[in-house]
Amino acid sequence: MTYPPGNPYGGQPGPGGNPYGQPQPGYGQPPPGYGQPSPGYGQPPPGYGQPQPGYGGPPQPAASPTGTTLNPRTLPDDDNVNPYVFCVSLNGDWFMSKGAMLAYYGDVRFEAVTEYSSVQGWVAARFSSPVYVQDWVVATGHGKVLIGDRGFDLNSYDLDDGNLTIKAGNLCAFSPQLELKQSIVPGFVTLIGTGKFIASSNGPVIFVEPPFRADPEALLGWADCPSPSVHHDAQWMTQNIRAMISGALGRASGEERQYDFTGTGTILLQSSEVAREDPAVLRLVESQTQLLTDSQAGSLGQRLIARAQQQH
Amino acid sequence: MALLTAHKRVLHADLQGDRIRAASGSMVAVEGNVEFTSAGMGGGGGLRAALKRAVAGESLSLMDCAGHGRVHLALDAMDVLVVDLAGDTLTVESEHILAHTEQLRLDVQFAGLRGVTSGQGLATTTVTGHGQVALVSEGPVMALEVAPGQDLVVDPDAYVGSRGQLSMNLVSGVSWKSLVGEGSGEPFSLRFTGHGLVLVQSSER
Repeated sequence: MTYPPGNPYGGQPGPGGNPYGQPQPGYGQPPPGYGQPSPGYGQPPPGYGQPQPGYGGPPQPAASPTGTTLNPRTLPDDDNVNPYVFCVSLNGDWFMSKGAMLAYYGDVRFEAVTEYSSVQGWVAARFSSPVYVQDWVVATGHGKVLIGDRGFDLNSYDLDDGNLTIKAGNLCAFSPQLELKQSIVPGFVTLIGTGKFIASSNGPVIFVEPPFRADPEALLGWADCPSPSVHHDAQWMTQNIRAMISGALGRASGEERQYDFTGTGTILLQSSEVAREDPAVLRLVESQTQLLTDSQAGSLGQRLIARAQQQH
Repeated sequence: MALLTAHKRVLHADLQGDRIRAASGSMVAVEGNVEFTSAGMGGGGGLRAALKRAVAGESLSLMDCAGHGRVHLALDAMDVLVVDLAGDTLTVESEHILAHTEQLRLDVQFAGLRGVTSGQGLATTTVTGHGQVALVSEGPVMALEVAPGQDLVVDPDAYVGSRGQLSMNLVSGVSWKSLVGEGSGEPFSLRFTGHGLVLVQSSER
């Protein structure tokens, strides 16, 4: 099995010193140090794994229908279980997207970020994005947590004093050493610092280098290069300039609108354009309407009503 | 004897003059001479089973496939897993059942409060006997071992089924107070204790 993609599309993220987005070289290939259980967890206490004294022995071997049986000792440490499931070896705190948890072994508690930050001051400092705070929890404790996202491919990324901006709906979890900030581009968040995060992609991740224009739906994120500008197709511009002046700007966009990347860095793409509805986008756009004057807000409201009626 | 084989996301059912039961509408292709008849709802026959289903909301529409040949079955391009049963019992959410061989018995078992919270009905289906049952899942199924001192907590939406001597409890994962006024995350989870295997899919829908 070959996984993770390891750039099957030739879009090499460039030679060494890439702090971003290099998916772990090791699906099925344990990272160095694997096999030595971290102290505290994974170190089975004496007699663990054998039937407890007094326990009448395992009732049956319970043959596994999948061929392999997973338990806390056979689950990998911070690695993929299969292309769609990642196992976090929890020893302390991790930020996790609500709903990303599939299952866990051990002693783990999940607290809403809003709740947790009032107790632990560092949380608010690490999670500086009020728009997304409702969608995240802090997992605390010791154990193995399996995370997944709609059956999408999951990859882990190691940041080494770097930054990477990613579609908020695709970010599943990140270690508390990283700092999360809201990107200027709506629907995206930026992770800064040194640590690990896990993100999903519909299909394998494709790495490309600027200059490059990306379809907004297929764009997964970018690292090290400046935030993109919006590019409109020249022909489309000429044809629609009259319409734009008459105030029809903001209609349903198609392929004519792209994100234009310049500078040096890496762009991450996914091979599908199916996006999840991100509840934070509504909050984000709503918060930006404060820029409008009252009369502007009124006419925006009328246009939104017209759009909603058109779709019905 | 009918043989079920998983082939990526398609189930091959080879029939030799016998019959299998499959989820209605799951047939994608057929080779040979196979007849399809509606077999009504799963979960056992009789009035008692029908009443239990009505109360539980655990429904599964099945069809009989009988004859000679190979039937190709699939549901929504979901992954297929064939489980062999040798007299033991598999507990499974009915929506994950794609097909089963004739000798198996399906029954509805009340699962307490669990169904209320997951919205998947108040009960689960048990499959007992000697034979094969094919399950569908979003993403491949993982078999997670539960042993004394090694409890497992599972998201209700990722739960597919279980086998062995297990007891299931409801736990609130995220502290209840902190969820007031916020959207749902993992408000409730299932805690498994005992000895057995829990089947978990890689998507929470």
